[in-house]
Parts: sequence; C-alpha cells; structure tokens
Amino acid sequence: MIETHHLSKLYSRGLYALQDLSLSVEKGEFVFLTGASGAGKSTFLRLVLMQETPSEGEIFVNGHNLTSLRRSEVQEYRRGIGFIFQDFKLIPTRTVFENVSFVLEVLGVPSTQQRRRTFQVLKWVGLQHRMNAYPRDLSGGEQQRIAIARALVNDPALVLADEPTGNLDPDLSLEIMNLLREINAGGTTVVIATHDRELIRLVGRRTVTLDQGRIVEVA
Amino acid sequence: MRAIDYALRQAWASLWRGGRSTAFAIIAIALAALVLGSLLLLTWNVDQLLTQWTSATEFSVFLRDDATSEQRGTIEAAVDQSGVAEGREYVSKAEALTRFRRQFTDLAALTTDLGDNPFPASLEVRVRPGAEGNGRADALVKQVATLPGVADVRYDREWLARMASGLNALRGAGFALAFLMALAAAVTVAAVVRLGLYTRREEIDIMTLVGSPLAFIRGPFIAEGLLQGGVGAVVALTILWLGFKAVGVWWGADLAAILDGASLHFLPIHEAILLVAGGMFVGAAGGFAASRHAT
Repeated sequence: MIETHHLSKLYSRGLYALQDLSLSVEKGEFVFLTGASGAGKSTFLRLVLMQETPSEGEIFVNGHNLTSLRRSEVQEYRRGIGFIFQDFKLIPTRTVFENVSFVLEVLGVPSTQQRRRTFQVLKWVGLQHRMNAYPRDLSGGEQQRIAIARALVNDPALVLADEPTGNLDPDLSLEIMNLLREINAGGTTVVIATHDRELIRLVGRRTVTLDQGRIVEVA
Repeated sequence: MRAIDYALRQAWASLWRGGRSTAFAIIAIALAALVLGSLLLLTWNVDQLLTQWTSATEFSVFLRDDATSEQRGTIEAAVDQSGVAEGREYVSKAEALTRFRRQFTDLAALTTDLGDNPFPASLEVRVRPGAEGNGRADALVKQVATLPGVADVRYDREWLARMASGLNALRGAGFALAFLMALAAAVTVAAVVRLGLYTRREEIDIMTLVGSPLAFIRGPFIAEGLLQGGVGAVVALTILWLGFKAVGVWWGADLAAILDGASLHFLPIHEAILLVAGGMFVGAAGGFAASRHAT
C-alpha cells in the first residue's frame, strides 16, 4: 500500500525531518509510527497526503508514484485516503451530520446517497442519536468518533491518523483504537502516528520507531 | 452541475454572511457600473441625436437678386438630377422677409424702415439620408455654387463633425475611467472574497484533504464574486434609471426645446444586459483571483 525508497524531507533551515527512509506498509496492515516530538511522524503522514513534497527519494501509495503525480491528479489521489487529526478539525458551524456528509457533498455524491452513507457511518461509530448536535456539544471522545466517521464516509483504502488519541483520556483512547482496529479488520490499511507507548503495547501491532527522521526500530 | 449548484448555494449563503464587507464590494461594483452606464446612456443618446440630425441635413442656395428664371431652372435641374436631394423648396424674397418677421418678432420693426427687401430668394434642399456621409452632398454643393445666378451656398455641418469628434473624445475618456473603476472594483471584490475565504479556512482545508474537485473548492468564491458583480450592476442600473426619470420630470420641457423636439431614451435592453454581464464578469474575475489562494 505504501512504499518509500530513500525518502528524505529537508527543510530550509538545513534540518532533515526525514532522512533516507525506506519503509513498506502492506495492504490491509495496521502500523504504528512512533517516536519523540520532531522525529518525523507527522512529516511522513503529510508526505503521504501530499501536503508536502519529498526533497529526495520516492514514495508509492496504492500504485501512485507521488513524486511524479501531476497537480491536477492530487485531488483524485486523496479521495482514496481518510485522515484523522489530534484536534479533530470538525467544522464548528455544521452539525454532526453535516460535518460527515459534507465530505460526500464536496465529492459530488448525490444527496440521497449522501444521507444514507452518512447515517451508516454515524451508526457505526455509535453517534447516530447525536447527528443534529454541533461539535461544541460533544465530548472529546465523541468529536474524535465523528472525525473517524468523516474519514470513513467515502470508503478510503487507507486511513492516516496523526495522534488521534492525543487529546483523550486512556479509556477513550482505547475506545478510539478499537474503532480503528475494526476499520482495519474490514480490510482498510491504517497508519497511526502516536507517541503513546502504552497504547501501542495494548493494541500490539507492527511499530516503526523514528528518531531524527530515521527508522531506528521496527517491532 | 452539482459543482455549480454547490457553488451557487455557498456563494448565496456567503453573501448574507458577509454583511458590511459584501455591501462594500457591491458598492464598488455599482460605482464602476454607474460611471460606465452614465457614459453609455449619454453617448447612446447623443449618437441617436446626431444620426437624427444628420439625416435631416439640408443646405440653402441663395440666389442673386438679378438671377433669371432660366438660371433658377438650371439650378433646380442640377439639384433634381444629382440624386442627392430628397426634396427642395423655393423661398422667394417676400417669403424670406415674412419668415424673418415671424421668427424674430423683436426685430420685425427694423425691417419696416428698410426701403428694399434685403433678404435673397433661396432654394432649400433636403439631403437624402446617406448622401451626406458619402460626399455626394458636398460635391453637389460645390457644383451648384459655380452655377450662374447663385450668390452663396450654406451647408453648415461643421458643428455636427465637431460634436461627433467631441463625443468620441468623451467616449474614450469615459471608457478609460470606467476601466480603472472596474479594475478597482475587481480588486475590492477579490479582497472581500478573500476575507470570506479566511473565515472558511477549516472547511477549505478539509475539502482539500478529502480530495474535493477544484471546482467545488474554488467555485463558491468565483460564484460569490459573480453574484456581487451582478447585484452591483443591477443597483447601478436602477440608480441610473431613477436619475434618468428624474431628469425627465425636472428638465424634460427645457431639454425638448433645446433638442428641437427630439426625445431622450433610456439604455436599450441589450446595453443594459451587457452592463449587468460586465458587472458579473468583473466580480467573477475578482472572485477567481481570490479563489487562487484557496488551494
């Protein structure tokens, strides 16, 4: 699903966020990226999402060579990826239902299908009863579940999560991890960047540890 | 179609959300459209009057007092055979005097003191429409002036030429001013749309990350500029129409007298539509410039 060859990202100050990174994530795999702050976890996710371009090396995602992807092809490529952020990034002026269905709306999906699919994913994350609420009325755990529903609503082949439990207490963190494991059980590849060692231990999946932009351990 | 529908719905919502800043952009567009509309209204009416006056051109052939009836016959034959004249009228010395007394009643007393009638007999020739423009009327005037029995020929159309050239200069300056104002309006719209873009930054970021087509991301901003431009142009057109009606009510009679009975008209429908389309284009251009900051 994801394959990088000698991938490097150099910032203008001469600092490497990633250096000579060669990594392979198989289709349907569940992988943790871990390491201290500044290790390069988020940079790796941003490169996969094409929010940034590599300075050196190659990166292949789902058969796309991202280094040679044209600007006009980027949006189409992103439709195959779901993303989850630490700060949820929900739109405060839209209801729970609208936050999720919005993704389908801006992808041009007909409105009947939008409603059906949105209801399905909200039911799956257990928040169909809160669909008319606004994000400010929800707890952190509920907000993250909405963010997960939004990431899944267009059926992506790959889900990226950047510190998805960073703002949650341990119980809620585990609950979110269980949801992500369920997603993975359905065949979706999941890559999670986290520095929560305890959570990684509890979930027990392949873990790639980064330090100063380099892979230092794969367990 | 879904992208257009989405863009228009978002743009409409944004227009209401925008409040004062939206009003500011609409006013900028309206001002530019008002300048352009006033110019179009003025030049269109002057053009119509010039065409009307040009088609009604005539020249006068003043006869010598000693001109014989044969000489007058030769002159009339030359006019009739030229194909330039739509009609002609012979004004005798006595008729010329009567006309003077009728038109200038204050000066009528002067003529009673004169022993002889000083007014010459003349032939008033109405020029056929089109003959004035292609030079045939000029040629006839020159030919008639050389005929025996002719004292003078008056074909005063210089003022028409001066007016036409003045109108061209006004049109040039007006269009330049309207262009500058349209540019300023486009920049204002771009700034206002960009403000809206920052308030919707989160939405746009999410749209970008989920792979929303560019038409969905940029479309609403272009549509917003388009709507602002359209509303601004309609506002300008309404103000212009009210102004035109007010001029008609307050100075209609005076203008009719100055214009020799000719009447003024509001912009024809195709020019009004063009003005609104122009406003929409300027607005959309501003929206497009702003939308480039979305991705």
